[in-house]
Amino acid sequence: MDLVTVKGLSKRYGGIVALSDATFSARAGEVHALLGENGAGKSTFIQILSGAVQHDGGSILVDGQDYRPANPDAAQARGIAAVFQELSLIPDLSVEQNVWFRHEPRTLLRTVDRAEMRRKTLALLEKYNFPALRPDQELRRLTLAERQIVEIAKGLAKDPRILILDEATSALPAREADWLLKLTRQLAAEGRLVIFISHRMAEVRAIADRLTIFRNGATVAAHEANAVSDNEIVTQMIGRHLDRLYPERMATATDRVALNVRGLSSGSRLSGVDFTLREGEVLGVGGLQGHGQRELFQALFGASRASGAIELWDKPVSINNPRQALTGRDGIALVPEDRRGQGLLLTKSVRENLTLSVIRRFTENGLLSRQKEAALVKEMVDFLRIKAGTPEQLAGTLSGGNQQKVIFGKMLLTQARVLLLYDPTRGVDVGTKGEIFQLMRDLAAKGYAILFHSSDMPELVHVADRVMVMRDGRVAATLEGERISEAGILRAAMLEREAA
Amino acid sequence: MVMARAERTGEMAQRPAETRSTTPAIDWRGRLLDRAPFLVACLMLALIVGIYGSLQSGVFTLDELNLDTAAAMTLMLAATGQTIVLLRGGIDLSIGGMISLGTVIAATRFSDDPSTTAFWALAILALGFVIGALNGLLISLLKLQPFLVTLATWSILNGVAMIILPTDGGSIPTWWVGFASTQLFGLTSPVWMLVALLAFWWWFRATRVGIAIQATGSNEKSAFLSGVSITRVNLVTYGLSGLFAAGAALFLVTQTGAGSPTIGKDYILPSVAAAVIGGVSLFGGRGHLAGTLIGAFVLTLIGNLVFVLHVSSYWQPVASGVILLLSVLASSVAEKAARGRVQ
Repeated sequence: MDLVTVKGLSKRYGGIVALSDATFSARAGEVHALLGENGAGKSTFIQILSGAVQHDGGSILVDGQDYRPANPDAAQARGIAAVFQELSLIPDLSVEQNVWFRHEPRTLLRTVDRAEMRRKTLALLEKYNFPALRPDQELRRLTLAERQIVEIAKGLAKDPRILILDEATSALPAREADWLLKLTRQLAAEGRLVIFISHRMAEVRAIADRLTIFRNGATVAAHEANAVSDNEIVTQMIGRHLDRLYPERMATATDRVALNVRGLSSGSRLSGVDFTLREGEVLGVGGLQGHGQRELFQALFGASRASGAIELWDKPVSINNPRQALTGRDGIALVPEDRRGQGLLLTKSVRENLTLSVIRRFTENGLLSRQKEAALVKEMVDFLRIKAGTPEQLAGTLSGGNQQKVIFGKMLLTQARVLLLYDPTRGVDVGTKGEIFQLMRDLAAKGYAILFHSSDMPELVHVADRVMVMRDGRVAATLEGERISEAGILRAAMLEREAA
Repeated sequence: MVMARAERTGEMAQRPAETRSTTPAIDWRGRLLDRAPFLVACLMLALIVGIYGSLQSGVFTLDELNLDTAAAMTLMLAATGQTIVLLRGGIDLSIGGMISLGTVIAATRFSDDPSTTAFWALAILALGFVIGALNGLLISLLKLQPFLVTLATWSILNGVAMIILPTDGGSIPTWWVGFASTQLFGLTSPVWMLVALLAFWWWFRATRVGIAIQATGSNEKSAFLSGVSITRVNLVTYGLSGLFAAGAALFLVTQTGAGSPTIGKDYILPSVAAAVIGGVSLFGGRGHLAGTLIGAFVLTLIGNLVFVLHVSSYWQPVASGVILLLSVLASSVAEKAARGRVQ
């Protein structure tokens, strides 16, 4: 018998239909992948399952009994736990306090039994072979990947019969992502149902027994994983045939140097980086995670203290804060890693997000010109094909891909022609990924110079003109032409130091 | 050189194969930075006590401790409630009204009959909790700013206090006033109350409710997703704040011997200041009552210092403000240093 059966599930937020007709069934002991573009309704579906929101219509049966949790607690009581993409962790609590939050073992005085909590934490980490974590470390000191791992531990601490993993691998480096895939299989072998959401087809292929595909708020198909091809899945996800994910790579780089960096160092993670980025070029930045890529982007954008020489369009500059990086046509603009936290004001409109950092461009004699602003906003929304009802729609209500487009728009409006893109496709659906890659190539053709980091290696291989591989805070190798391949990047990242 | 490089490469190549590594070393410097605001507060207190002690004889005695704790206890009680609210990420201005209301009820209802007095004392405490809980309910259900809701209830409570007792006065039974000078092992009851407050905190912070309040202040959405009822958290948080404000009123009348419909406002901002000096974050999630109590001592002893320096008493608020600025500066420097390390 199926552990979960969902029929005709619907949910609307005001006038927006998030879910119109979701159907789903899954058995205990299987890994069930949930696929769909951003905005297809996957997030709403799992929010309903985990009790964060309540559905309007349709029915859910768990173990053959009606299921309608009023809050996350009620869902947990029925054995359903979720590992949220946005994470549900408390920055000021320690790792172990987060893992057992609200389920802490207690002493006779009703206080938390710290010794017991430590013992249970270590036992849990041991049982599922977790990567190294200090149980007493405060959460706000951890990296995004480490927090993701804590969130997973928190989900498992409830010993759920149904575990929902919402893009849990997207924040993890390769080794930890592998660990999670193994863990997922282990959980299924223990008789649990794992509902697995990922935009990485290879992962879904590696572990899913069955898969369900969502599009526009409804279920379009459910398959046994080994009975369907990648192409069929992608076609069903986007509702049309996707010709090609990656755009054609044309040599648009000129001889003019846009960005010349010598001996850039920052803290212990970045030690003496040299490179040049030319006009019209897309320069990829690769390597194993945590070898200075993040620090490189932060240093170039003035978000962290750094030493070394930087020349922008042949002029030496010093960038000590993001404001100095954003000086009009000769400046640098960044698409940050954490778009919800750093890039977007979720409670502000699309228009406000686009124009916030360039408000000076619309002022005449100290007054804001609404007309000028509206014209530029419209131009940007059309150019990027941002799917928003009106420019006044709140950024927080857009799908992930559209949010990312707003950030691109914000960056382009600064008129900077050196663009730093830090993992711009993270958590973005396949259709929008294609659009972003095309956009990058279009911008390069217009003379923009683009520094591009991606945690997904094939993207570097297929989009970048050259790939600079980082290791231990230095450039280990720069690959060009034929030598750009996943194997080449990995080799440079892990093994030999090639002559540049 | 070549050998070293070869070894290094070997090490690198092995890294991906390793699945379980040992736990990283304890981050002592990070821990120290986390406690920096609290340590700065301790330093300030030591400095003030040092100066005070060098100008005045008899500072380092139990008598002095008894006196100063009694002087600080009303603020300490009010600030304990405020600390809980700040930890939740809110603010409670209504304690000013609650303290005034508490003193006027006490001054008009307390009598020489202990059972009547005990009844009204309990009634004042219950009223404090209920009014505080109402604050919390309004904030949750109407989704209003704590600042505005508690500003409104402050005004209402103040008005009610004025209606009950328009001017300072009334009377407090002598046996109730005498409570503050009751001694046990050479220490007066305020000192024992201080110990009790710390014991309460040690316990409260480790309960699930205490942790849920701190967690909600740290990140409300995460707390909700983890199953915390935000309404219940607000109810308990502001309820406790009202309860401690009522307790502050009951103690305050032992010092004044009378009721006052306006006295409460003198504790609103100092209660926030004491917490901030002690390292409690205004943004929620971080802080400790020990810091708040030290902050309350600092603010109280500044008064003593101004007195023995023989300068105008108007220098007291000036000095308090400077100290507040210094502590905020200290915590922000520590915060930056800590963040710099994370990046």
